Amino acid sequence: MNTSSRLLANWVILGLTLTFLIGPFLIIILAGASDTSYLAFPPEGLTLKWYLKVFTVESFRASFLLSMALAVFGTLAALLLGVPAAYALNRYALPGAETIRTIVAAPIIVPGIIVGLALLRYLVVPTGVTVTLALFMAHTALVLPYAVRVVSSSMHNLRADMEEAAVLLGCSRLQAFTKVVLPNIRGGVLAAFILGFVTSFNQVPVSLFLSGPGVRTLPIDMLAYMEITFDPSVAALSALLAFMSLAIVFVAERLLGFSRYV
Amino acid sequence: MSDTFVQLSDVTLMYGKSVAVPDLDLSIREGELICLLGPSGCGKTTTMRAIAGLLDPASGSIHIDGRDVTRVPANKRGIGLVFQSYALFPHLNAFENVAFGLRLQKLPEAEIRERTEAGLATVGLTGYDKRKPAEMSGGQQQRLALARSLVMKPKVLLLDEPLSNLDARLRLEMRTELQRVQKETGVTMVFVTHDQAEALALADRIVLMKEGKIEQLGTPADLYARPETAFAAEFMGFENIFRVEGTKAVTDSGALELGFAPASPLLAWRPDGVSVGSGPHQGRVLATSFAGAHREYVLDTALGPVKADAAIELPEVAIGETLSFDLPEATARPLSA
Amino acid sequence: MFRNTREGLALALPAAIFSTLLFLVPVGILLSEAFRFEGGWSLQGYIDFFATPLNRTVFLRTLKLGALVAGTAAVIGYAAAFCIVNLEPKSRGTVFGMIVLPLMISPVARTYAWIVILGRTGIVNETITGLGLSDTPLRLLFTETAVFLGLLQLFLPLMIISLVSAMENIPRDVIPAARVLGASWLAVFFKVILPLTKEGLVIGGTLVFTGSLTAYITPAILGGSKVLMLETLLYQRVNVSNDFVSASVIAMILIVMSFSANLLLKKIASARS
Repeated sequence: MNTSSRLLANWVILGLTLTFLIGPFLIIILAGASDTSYLAFPPEGLTLKWYLKVFTVESFRASFLLSMALAVFGTLAALLLGVPAAYALNRYALPGAETIRTIVAAPIIVPGIIVGLALLRYLVVPTGVTVTLALFMAHTALVLPYAVRVVSSSMHNLRADMEEAAVLLGCSRLQAFTKVVLPNIRGGVLAAFILGFVTSFNQVPVSLFLSGPGVRTLPIDMLAYMEITFDPSVAALSALLAFMSLAIVFVAERLLGFSRYV
Repeated sequence: MSDTFVQLSDVTLMYGKSVAVPDLDLSIREGELICLLGPSGCGKTTTMRAIAGLLDPASGSIHIDGRDVTRVPANKRGIGLVFQSYALFPHLNAFENVAFGLRLQKLPEAEIRERTEAGLATVGLTGYDKRKPAEMSGGQQQRLALARSLVMKPKVLLLDEPLSNLDARLRLEMRTELQRVQKETGVTMVFVTHDQAEALALADRIVLMKEGKIEQLGTPADLYARPETAFAAEFMGFENIFRVEGTKAVTDSGALELGFAPASPLLAWRPDGVSVGSGPHQGRVLATSFAGAHREYVLDTALGPVKADAAIELPEVAIGETLSFDLPEATARPLSA
Repeated sequence: MFRNTREGLALALPAAIFSTLLFLVPVGILLSEAFRFEGGWSLQGYIDFFATPLNRTVFLRTLKLGALVAGTAAVIGYAAAFCIVNLEPKSRGTVFGMIVLPLMISPVARTYAWIVILGRTGIVNETITGLGLSDTPLRLLFTETAVFLGLLQLFLPLMIISLVSAMENIPRDVIPAARVLGASWLAVFFKVILPLTKEGLVIGGTLVFTGSLTAYITPAILGGSKVLMLETLLYQRVNVSNDFVSASVIAMILIVMSFSANLLLKKIASARS
């Protein structure tokens, strides 16, 4: 094969792959703009009414806020637990460090649906903890492994003697952490936050069983809505969510080369 | 001793469950440059970390400038430490690295600026303020680390193998640089190294350590000329060390008549202390190499291999041929067992 | 300075305790349910579960689809990864980014697109009826094919990423060298590329396989109750028939598979380092 035909074959294969991976998004963007009361593609007439309707559906608004709050506060809580853990696992020769690592990583290995069910049955039902609190804790635990992993990898290159140097220059241990460690792992912490946020926001299986009257995360709400109505608003909402994720990732990539942490 | 500035008394240092340094006594004088010398694992870095306060002694006490600092935390001791890796702060530029400690003391901005700039000037880094450590060469990073410690006006400046990450030429340059800085500032320096040439060149006094204990302490000239033990002799370049039995030098391979009766249990010769070309003994040349001012031979003798330097005027003897040599009494160094 | 174990534990333990209480304990109790029978311990729950034909079908279907998705992803993945590695650095980054991006998008959104494509009024059916190939729309949704396509789209990026990073480690001149020595492209693939990227293939394959096994949304939306998979079966058992023993058995199956896959990955990772 000569060079130019090889190049052509190259791009044909990549074009097909990318069409398969990304094409569907273009389709839902257009399907959400169809001026029909049912899903149609190609769209019959273009309208923005479904995109606007998304914002007026009361349950979408409520579940969007819940998902947002879970993603933000769940991830913050996970960082609050995860950053000190990552720090300690990197710095100290702890007895049972491997066990701690495994326990903290466990939520990645256990399928989410099982976690949701287990929490519902053995936490919410017996202790009367609210579903919202259970959701919050489940999402925190879900994001925790990512927080520990990403922060650990950014702490890995940070030598311990840098903190010792700071202490010898007059820092307390805490000051050495805030003035020397934190500024140097800021990128990792931010990346962990974004990764955690996206993971939590998109999460379905964990939240599946953890829903109650008026308490539903957005993806679950969308699933429920789809069972009743077949209008293009879910397509419109899917498209909007895709844009949101893309925007977050794009900004993160521009700001800190996010992809090297994923 | 009235001029003792740093005093370690009966200091025992543990490394986990094992004793790294047992019952160490050491006094360091004000303004001197003292070298802790020894192979890796001899306890020299551990001792230095204890002086800095990064490692708490299991027992014993440490006094600095007349004050008991054994329980004083590292950030309150007023000690500077230049790390082997420099441990510069990668997120701060050169100026902020040097100003770091001064800022913690909440000094007025003008004073911080003045002292930082003076500090950078001392190590020849004027004009580099805005550079990040990653944008500086190894030698510059080394100077920056030195300046960062010096601006704090430490009572004692500790240096942990600070030259080991530099190439040979830079290392020589930094040696003189360190001596100059020490003269200018008069700061007491404790220098940790495993390189005896570095210790000999720099130190006012050398503390030779082995397995957590002080093997010998003295001036470079002292240590160089008069090592007291086999370990010290080997470290100072006495490459031929033999046991003594009556008038014979003995090794596991055999014996050689010396022609005199030493009083010490061991004798050592530097390669240049072995006379070559004439003498009562014969050795087969195992290896030879040209070293500028002299020629180095390894001879296979009754005692096993003997290292000897020959004057360059002597004709070269090829590998496999024999060479006569002597182990003269005049150049022999008696050692204790 | 960092020898104070108590200090280190104080920092690390909160995370570990949190995970234990919120994860290990509840999940552990759930797993134990299938072993409890009439007040004692037994394997009856497992025997009953596998005695039901539907459960066996779902179990085998989940394995089959997982394997099919992983296998197809490997074939497409090799082709795509090979093309990506051959790109010049600048466009390589862009294409790689476009492949990774879908991973950040909500799986609900990603799966929903297939309804638009495969639905009664979707593109495929519109085309078929439009061309007069069939009078009535075909039933494309709620089939194994639909689930297969959805899962493939969801997890293909993981395979491509693994293979790209494996291929980047192939020394530059190995492939031309093999060609010069007279190897056909087929021989180059089986004798050079495949052995050198085996690790990436195993990693990608494991990620795709376990991902497919434990996906909920795709089988729920595209398979419905007609094409149940283990996760959707679990949901149905709990929500429709309150059958926690079956749920516990399914949970065990999923965890064992996911766990062994992770062990495999860890082993590869440690063998490499």
